Amino acid sequence: MNPMLTLIRKDLQLTWRDRSNWLSALSFACISLLIYSFAFDLVATDLKPLLPGVLWTTFLFVGVFASSQSFQREWDSDVLDALMLAPISPTAIYLGKALTNVISLLAIELVLLLLSTMLFDTAFLTAELILVVVIGTIGYISLTTLLSTLGTRARARSMLFPVLALPLLIPLLIAGVRASSAAMDEPIGSAPWILLLTVFAIWSTASGLLLFPLAVKR
Amino acid sequence: MVESTVAIETNGLTKRYSGIEVISAATFSLPKGSKTALIGPNGSGKTTLLGMLSSLITPSAGEATLAGHSLTANSQSFRREIGVLAHRPMIYEELSPFENLQFFARLYEIDEQDSRIEDLLRAVGLWQRRQAPAQILSRGYHQRLALARALLHRPQILLLDEPETGLDPEGIRLLDELVLRAPDITVLAATHLIERASSWSDGVLRLERGRIVEATAKPSKTDAPPKIEAPA
Repeated sequence: MNPMLTLIRKDLQLTWRDRSNWLSALSFACISLLIYSFAFDLVATDLKPLLPGVLWTTFLFVGVFASSQSFQREWDSDVLDALMLAPISPTAIYLGKALTNVISLLAIELVLLLLSTMLFDTAFLTAELILVVVIGTIGYISLTTLLSTLGTRARARSMLFPVLALPLLIPLLIAGVRASSAAMDEPIGSAPWILLLTVFAIWSTASGLLLFPLAVKR
Repeated sequence: MVESTVAIETNGLTKRYSGIEVISAATFSLPKGSKTALIGPNGSGKTTLLGMLSSLITPSAGEATLAGHSLTANSQSFRREIGVLAHRPMIYEELSPFENLQFFARLYEIDEQDSRIEDLLRAVGLWQRRQAPAQILSRGYHQRLALARALLHRPQILLLDEPETGLDPEGIRLLDELVLRAPDITVLAATHLIERASSWSDGVLRLERGRIVEATAKPSKTDAPPKIEAPA
C-alpha cells in the first residue's frame, strides 16, 4: 500500500475511534445553524443574501475547532519522530494528515448543507455550491493543518492557532462567501471569486508542502 | 570491491542552538556488529548526538556515514538501515500493539508483514495482548512494543536512548537477548547504567559538555575487534 494511503487509513481509523472532537464540532455547528434559523425567522427581509455568510462562519469555527488538534496525538506521544524516521517524505506525512482533515470536514459540511436546506428552505446541495465548498475546504485545511504544526511546536497552540489562522483565512472567507452567493444566483458583480478561491487553495497547499518539512525540522 | 567494516563514522559532527555548542566536533567510528555504550552526565549531549545520527536533528556542521549512507543525504535507504529506541516509546496509544506494528510495517514496506509482526510480538511477550489498545498497557509493555517497532524493519544499526526505561527484569532480559547481544546489529546506546553497560558493550564513548572526552574499547566478542577513534 502506498505510504500516504497508509497514513490516511490510520488517521481515519483514529479519527473514527476518537471522534469526540469532530462530533463536538458538528454539534456546535448544528446548534449555530438552528439559532440562526430562529433569529432569521424574526426578519421580514429576503434571507438569501445572508445565507453564504452564515454558512462560511459556521464552516470557519467547525474547522478551527477540529483541525487545530491535527498533530496533537503525534506530538503528545512523540510519534512524529517515528514517522520522520520512516522511509517516507515529510510531505507525505503532511498530505496524509491534510487529506484526512479534508475528508472529515467535508463530511461535516455535507451534513450542514443538508441541515441548512431544511432550516432555510433554500437549495444548498447544488453542484456549483458543492464545488465552491470543496475548493474552499481544501484551501482552508491546507493552511490550518500547517499552522497546527507550528502552534503545537510553540506549545501555545490554543492561543497561537486562531491568532495565526484567522487573519490568513480572510481572503478565503471573502472569496468563499462571494463565490457561494454566485452559486446561489445572487448578484455579486463580475469579480471571479471562484478563481480567487482556487488560487488561495493552490497557494495554501503549495505553502503546506514546502513549509511542513521545515516546520518539523529540529 | 571490499565491503566496509565500519558501521558508523562521524567527522566533526557539531550541533549549535542559538550559538551554543551542544555537540562539539564529534569524530569517531564504530565497526559493524559492535555494541557501544554512550555515557555521560545529564545535559552532556547524548540525546542530541543520537538525534543527529538518526537524522531527527540536523547537524550544524560535520558529516556522518551510517551503514554506508551519508547522513546529510538523509535518503529513504538510509532510514531503512536505522532503528531507534528512545526513552519515550513513540507509539500510537489508541492503536493495539498489532495495529501499531502493522502501520509501521506498511510504511517500511516489509515483506510477509503478518508473520514478522507475530514473531516480534511473541519475542517481546505481547502476543497475548496484541489486540488491546496500547493505552491500557503498562509503561513496561509500551517499551517492549517500542523495542519491537525498532526491530521491525531489520535495521543494521540501532540507536538506543536509555532503552531500559520502564522495563522490568524480564523486559531487560529481552532487550539484552534481542538487541544488546545480537551479533549482526551495531548498537550505540546512551545509558546511565554504567555497570550494566560493561556486561554488554564492546566499547564506551564518554561525553562531557558536548565533547567526547573518552573513547575506550574492550576486547571484542567478535573476530574483528571494534575500534573507537576519538579526536586527539
